[in-house]
Amino acid sequence: MSSNQTATATPATRNFWNALRRRALSFFLDWLVWGYVAYGVMYLLNKYWWTVPLERFYSTLTLPSWGWPLAILGTLEMAVWSRNLGRSLGLRAFGYEIWGADGKPPTLSQRVTRALLWHLSVLPLGMGIWLSPERPWHDQGAGTVVQPAPATRLAGRRKAIFSQWGLMSLFLIGFTIWLGWLIIQIDIGILFRRGDEGMRIWREMLHPDFRYFAVPDPAFELRNLPYSILDMAVVTLFMALLATIMGAAVAFPLSFLGARNVMGFNPVGWLVYFAMRGFFNIFRSIDTMLWAVIFAVWVLWGRPLAGVLALTVHTVAALGKLYSEQVEGIDPGPVEAVVATGGSRIEVIKYAVLPQVTPAYWAFTLYRWDINVRMATVIALVGGGGIGDLLFYYKNQGDWPKVGAVVMVIVAIVWAMDYISGRLRERIT
Amino acid sequence: MAKPYLVVENLTKVYERGQVVALRDLSFTVEKGEFLVVIGLSGSGKSTLLRCINRLIEPTKGKIWLDGTEITRLSPRQMRRMRRRIGMIFQHFNLIKRATVMTNVLTGRLGYNPTWRTLLGLFPKEDRELALKNLERVGLSDKAYVRADELSGGQQQRVGIARALMQEPELLLADEPVSALDPATSHSVMQYLEQMNKEDGVTVLASLHFLSLARRYGTRIIALKDGALVFDGPPEAIDDAKFKEIYGEEAEQVEIR
Repeated sequence: MSSNQTATATPATRNFWNALRRRALSFFLDWLVWGYVAYGVMYLLNKYWWTVPLERFYSTLTLPSWGWPLAILGTLEMAVWSRNLGRSLGLRAFGYEIWGADGKPPTLSQRVTRALLWHLSVLPLGMGIWLSPERPWHDQGAGTVVQPAPATRLAGRRKAIFSQWGLMSLFLIGFTIWLGWLIIQIDIGILFRRGDEGMRIWREMLHPDFRYFAVPDPAFELRNLPYSILDMAVVTLFMALLATIMGAAVAFPLSFLGARNVMGFNPVGWLVYFAMRGFFNIFRSIDTMLWAVIFAVWVLWGRPLAGVLALTVHTVAALGKLYSEQVEGIDPGPVEAVVATGGSRIEVIKYAVLPQVTPAYWAFTLYRWDINVRMATVIALVGGGGIGDLLFYYKNQGDWPKVGAVVMVIVAIVWAMDYISGRLRERIT
Repeated sequence: MAKPYLVVENLTKVYERGQVVALRDLSFTVEKGEFLVVIGLSGSGKSTLLRCINRLIEPTKGKIWLDGTEITRLSPRQMRRMRRRIGMIFQHFNLIKRATVMTNVLTGRLGYNPTWRTLLGLFPKEDRELALKNLERVGLSDKAYVRADELSGGQQQRVGIARALMQEPELLLADEPVSALDPATSHSVMQYLEQMNKEDGVTVLASLHFLSLARRYGTRIIALKDGALVFDGPPEAIDDAKFKEIYGEEAEQVEIR
């Protein structure tokens, strides 16, 4: 194609602004790292030093009012000095290096000069950058350049572990484990201190009570759910099956509306596409469990209907997204050919799109079936009905042998479904 | 005065992204029964030109008439009816790989059947018979129920030709029909096009890479360079100087026999 470019920005200037943006991002990364360190230090001080009284402890981070400006400026200083005295994490992450303008490594005095000049150049509203973007004032004054690290000099460089960014990374990993341990109050010892309790549950569950395997538990007559474990297993399987079939049936036509290449490049198509994609993404990001909470209130707690509806809604959104991405990935050639013979849009779907996507559609649907079976076994926790209803009832009663029986049935169902859907998926491709 | 069969007038195509001009103010006419070969370097606009004629690509500016109808003004529905008359074959065959040869060939009848029939795959008996006849014509009658991706490149292109034949077209657009094939197969495919042109009276517009093929099969050649028309005349009129103008100074003629 003739390169008849009439775009406003030439590639050179675009690359230039890109580079400046990357430099800024790399700086903010360093600032963020030090901000995190400061957060951790303040947390530790709060915990071990000041011991803040509970009524003034709003969060894991409690700072006096004068602490905030101090923390912001302090971390800014740390970021600046760490960038100039060595290769910081931010520089490393974006592949930058500070280097002497004469092509030699920067001397210590150059590094210190650059850090000091930075305050004059950047703090007054970034004047030194805006007035001289190709080479900011602090680089000019110190005789340095910030450049992408060349691959050829790799040989002479010290090992990552001895560099600033290497040490910083190691420190951050250790620091995070330490902080996390304190913040979520991990206490491994309790596993052993309450070991007897744990062993009791395991022992009782491993001596399952299958009394109500095929006969309904009289306790459930009050709740109008006179089902045995086996009945509930059947209910659960049908919940998953119905949700998968209905979900796939709805997602199938919608998936074409959510595919860019099918909808064409006109305003209406664009609108439908974005509406569809928005629907898929929003409904998918609300977990099945949350949908079940909503439907359990709507159609009454503990009804399998609530679970089926929740599973279906999530299935529609999840499969719709997977399907439409599959449609977008097809080879456009056959589409072109069918259009060229005078085929309509629906004929294009039938003759050019569907043959290309069917195997993947089947695979996704089976995979979703698998997920739905697993979800259906526990959705009762939030009122969605199914075998989980028994599980949580017996658990609340502390009747562990019966819990064990239900768990064993659930394991058997999930394992069988896993096996079946795996075998079927093998057959398809 | 009657208009020529195909008229292309001031055709311009600008791709919006990157603002690349693919066709610049192109005008030419084609008479019924011609075998017009479009030559030019990759990216010179050959594919765009062919796709503008059946409006797989919407032209930015300009008009196209086919047999007195202004194609560029047709509504989508009218365009679909018009496309039945225009067959097309592609560089990469564009077959439905996972379907049988028969299904692929039958897609050539989509424009002739009501949608409810095609959606159920209920093509009339005559269409199936025509499909078998056309497969026999391209020498693939024994492959009718084989999956399309099991065929060789040359066989796949012949399926493409059979599909185009199903439309009983009066105009055939061939977008680099032999670029993906080896020399021997290329000639066999080109001979089918020649046969359609000579025996069925189908007007052919074919873009080709090799000048030797263009000279051998074309009754007339047009050449594109950077989307503009740089040559329009009989095959014999392309001499060395003209060749270098079309393909650039460094180009050497490669023969394909």
